[in-house]
Amino acid sequence: MKRDIEDLGRRIEQLLAQPEYQDHPLRGALDEVWRAFLDQTTRLDRVTHISDGYQTLVKERENDLDERFQKQLRKLEKLARISDHYQRMMQDLNVALSDASNRDVLTGLANRRHLMHRLKEESRRASRSGQPYTIAMLDIDHFKRINDTLGHAAGDRALIEVGRILQSSLREYDLCGRWGGEEFMMIMPGTTLVSAQALSQRVCTRIREHAGVPDVGQSQSISASVGISAYRHGEHYSDTVERADAALLEAKRRGRDCIVLSEV
Amino acid sequence: MSNLTITGSQSTPAISGDWDAGILTMTGDSYPENSFDLFNQVIDWVERFLAEARRPLSLELHLLYLNTSSVCAIMDVFDLLEDAHGGGHPVSVNWHYDKRNERVAELAEEFKEDCSFPFAIVAHD
Repeated sequence: MKRDIEDLGRRIEQLLAQPEYQDHPLRGALDEVWRAFLDQTTRLDRVTHISDGYQTLVKERENDLDERFQKQLRKLEKLARISDHYQRMMQDLNVALSDASNRDVLTGLANRRHLMHRLKEESRRASRSGQPYTIAMLDIDHFKRINDTLGHAAGDRALIEVGRILQSSLREYDLCGRWGGEEFMMIMPGTTLVSAQALSQRVCTRIREHAGVPDVGQSQSISASVGISAYRHGEHYSDTVERADAALLEAKRRGRDCIVLSEV
Repeated sequence: MSNLTITGSQSTPAISGDWDAGILTMTGDSYPENSFDLFNQVIDWVERFLAEARRPLSLELHLLYLNTSSVCAIMDVFDLLEDAHGGGHPVSVNWHYDKRNERVAELAEEFKEDCSFPFAIVAHD
């Protein structure tokens, strides 16, 4: 294209320079048209140049924006990743804390707080469904004697052992825990007094047979007393607990190592 | 020139900037009500130090829990350090953690990614 224009330019310059066309009527017009053409070409070049300049500027700005955008995006991704990680850490801590606040440190069973929470829940459920639950209060007989004669470590071992027996005797939806001292509680949803008694019987037998306290040379067996009560529709769970406690007291009064049912 | 002292609370870290020693220390949890207000002071101090002092700057971090806006602020501070490092200003970070809490080390490790200045994660008993 440029070569064509140069060729054309040369030809026109030659034509305009020829003396025989000096007075030709078209010579003046050609001269003017040619100058106007050159003028327009120069103008077009300048416009193109300026326009290119703008385009480069915009392009550079776009690249710069894109780079900054990508950088921000990476930063945001990193921020989300780290923040999620902190959140997971917090959740795990919460689980550990909740576990610690609901578990008895020595036996690993539910603690009194957990038991009370479950009593509240079971009472609500029993009121809704009409299906009662029973609770059994179990107390290790002569526990003070174990502590006093064999030391607290032996007492602790007995508590752990009884806890283990309780835990392994219950059904999946029952809950047992340490109510306090040497006193344990079993919560048995959807169970009658009679079947709770049978279960307690099994527990007491296992305690007598397996939860021996190692004495000098021989094993001194331990026993437990149990009081059982059933939730009465509409009452507060503390009344149910109170009746189980009273039944337990009666079991102690009857000479220990036995089970007493609270009257319905 | 001037030291930075921000008393810590349950939800904000204790922060101290020692201008002469070139040490910025942050200790504790960080989930402030207004993290912008809190960390702006820190960012200002770091910017001023990097602009005016020709001494090395070292960050000693004993941070535990950080909420999202605090994570963002710490990343901003690290960006400042990265730029300074690129410009030849000696900067470093020591992130201290309790050996029993390995998660904090993992998190520090994530912060450390794409930081080219010296960044140590230090275990303590």
